[in-house]
Amino acid sequence: MPYRLFVEPFQLPFMARALAEALLLGVLGGVVSVTVVLRRLAFVSDALTHTVFPGVVIGYLVAGTGGIVWGALGFALLSAVLLTVLPSNRRVTEDAALAILLTGFFSVGVVLVSRRSSYTADLTAFLFGRILTVDRREIVETAVVTAVVLAVLAVVGKELLLRAFDPGAAAALGYRVRLLDLVANVVVALVVVAAVKAVGTVLVIALLIVPAAAARLLTGRLAVLVAVSVLVGTLGGYLGLAASYQASVYYGLRLASGATVVLALVALYVVAFVVGALRRAGGRRRADRREADLVAEAA
Amino acid sequence: MADRELSPALQFEHASVAYGRTPVVEAVHGDVHPGEAVALIGPNGAGKSTLIKAVLGLVPVVGGRITVLGRTPAQARREVAYVPQADTLDPEFPVSAGQVVLMGRYRRIGWVRRPRREDRQVAAEALRAVGLADRAGDRFGLLSGGQRQRVLLARAIAQQPRLLLLDEPFNGVDAVSQDALLTALHGLRAGGAAVVVSTHDLALAHLTCDEVCLLNRHQFAFGPTEQALTPELLRAAYGGQALVTDEAVVAR
Repeated sequence: MPYRLFVEPFQLPFMARALAEALLLGVLGGVVSVTVVLRRLAFVSDALTHTVFPGVVIGYLVAGTGGIVWGALGFALLSAVLLTVLPSNRRVTEDAALAILLTGFFSVGVVLVSRRSSYTADLTAFLFGRILTVDRREIVETAVVTAVVLAVLAVVGKELLLRAFDPGAAAALGYRVRLLDLVANVVVALVVVAAVKAVGTVLVIALLIVPAAAARLLTGRLAVLVAVSVLVGTLGGYLGLAASYQASVYYGLRLASGATVVLALVALYVVAFVVGALRRAGGRRRADRREADLVAEAA
Repeated sequence: MADRELSPALQFEHASVAYGRTPVVEAVHGDVHPGEAVALIGPNGAGKSTLIKAVLGLVPVVGGRITVLGRTPAQARREVAYVPQADTLDPEFPVSAGQVVLMGRYRRIGWVRRPRREDRQVAAEALRAVGLADRAGDRFGLLSGGQRQRVLLARAIAQQPRLLLLDEPFNGVDAVSQDALLTALHGLRAGGAAVVVSTHDLALAHLTCDEVCLLNRHQFAFGPTEQALTPELLRAAYGGQALVTDEAVVAR
């Protein structure tokens, strides 16, 4: 039974490729979501997922599927810069500026894609991804982006930690906080680029938030947080693919694989939530008992 | 304790600092020498925090001059340590006390590199100096307010600064932590560091500092504590909000 559930699906070449892609994205999302959660960049990340969309469309229109990654990359860098510079205007609050940028860019993408005859099919692919059709080249692209992001985080990881924890101290130490923010935004944008093909520009937000958010429910230690986050990211990809395969092959249910991966991530979050709540309750009970013992001793 | 022979660690020359066009603090004039401690005293909104940010080079000096260790504030940053109020930091943030103290070493460690054994030793010594040697592994947010403030002072000590700036370090701090902070500050001054403490606690200003800069938008006094904290000057700076008794001066 476990073999049929967890091993058999991935002996098919297309499923093996999908798994490779999902595991890479799980590592990437697991690491970067720690930055997103610690810096409270959830809304910025959401904006980035939408602002990359027109780049995906333009890349596709200009050069076919091979152009998607380059269009996405261009718009990812552009929006990372815009998101860093934009909130500096005092009269428009940051969330309002983000909302304008998000919807404006997103609409450009929709307008462009709506001019095509295969409008709905294209739109669905761009928004929700097609992880089962990733090819070798796309896996290599994801691997390269993952390597670049991990390298960037190796260079400025501790500085990003300081900036997230205490921006005042970072500035006082002479770090250029704006530059560190730009790096963080670029890293998030790169995840969107890497994940476009597999889960689409909309669902990638789950990859950017859920792993670290789930891990945060279980631990307050940074190193453990990163490890658990990567585990949740990769496990979510693996379980999601296995589940969508089971459903379609044995139960005749066609589940969108990208969305199933996201559902698996959310399910892991729920598990983390319950485990975390139980552990906290257990901790409280132990503390109460200790207190009761102390009171009894005193009496 | 002060060594008058040395050039000042911090020098204000009729300095005015401003956000945008309107000056927040004007006409600050005085020196802080190595080993000396100066209290910045004034009511809320007097501009104490802004003046500290100007010394860090984060708020522009629009008139006069501020010289830090013989250089401009921005050039001197690496030798200046800043201690924020502990309650401005997120207690849920997943870092340990030891990790926070190590942050004081980041500029010396540089990009890419990880902390070396020397950095970890300095950080451990800094935690010992504030009496928290055994708490390095504890999560920052789970410590008491006073202990968190001590960890932030330890981070500043780990930076091995020549000038230390503290923003209201005694706010909401219990007696044990207050003692630990005072002892650690004393140690830093003995080592030749100059210290600037912003506070509205006049009793603590008496206890920690030998000089006072009395502020409210502009400078009312800068000099030895006894001369600067007179009832007349305090009334002037606090606009009649200071309660002056025989024993002590209480600012409201």
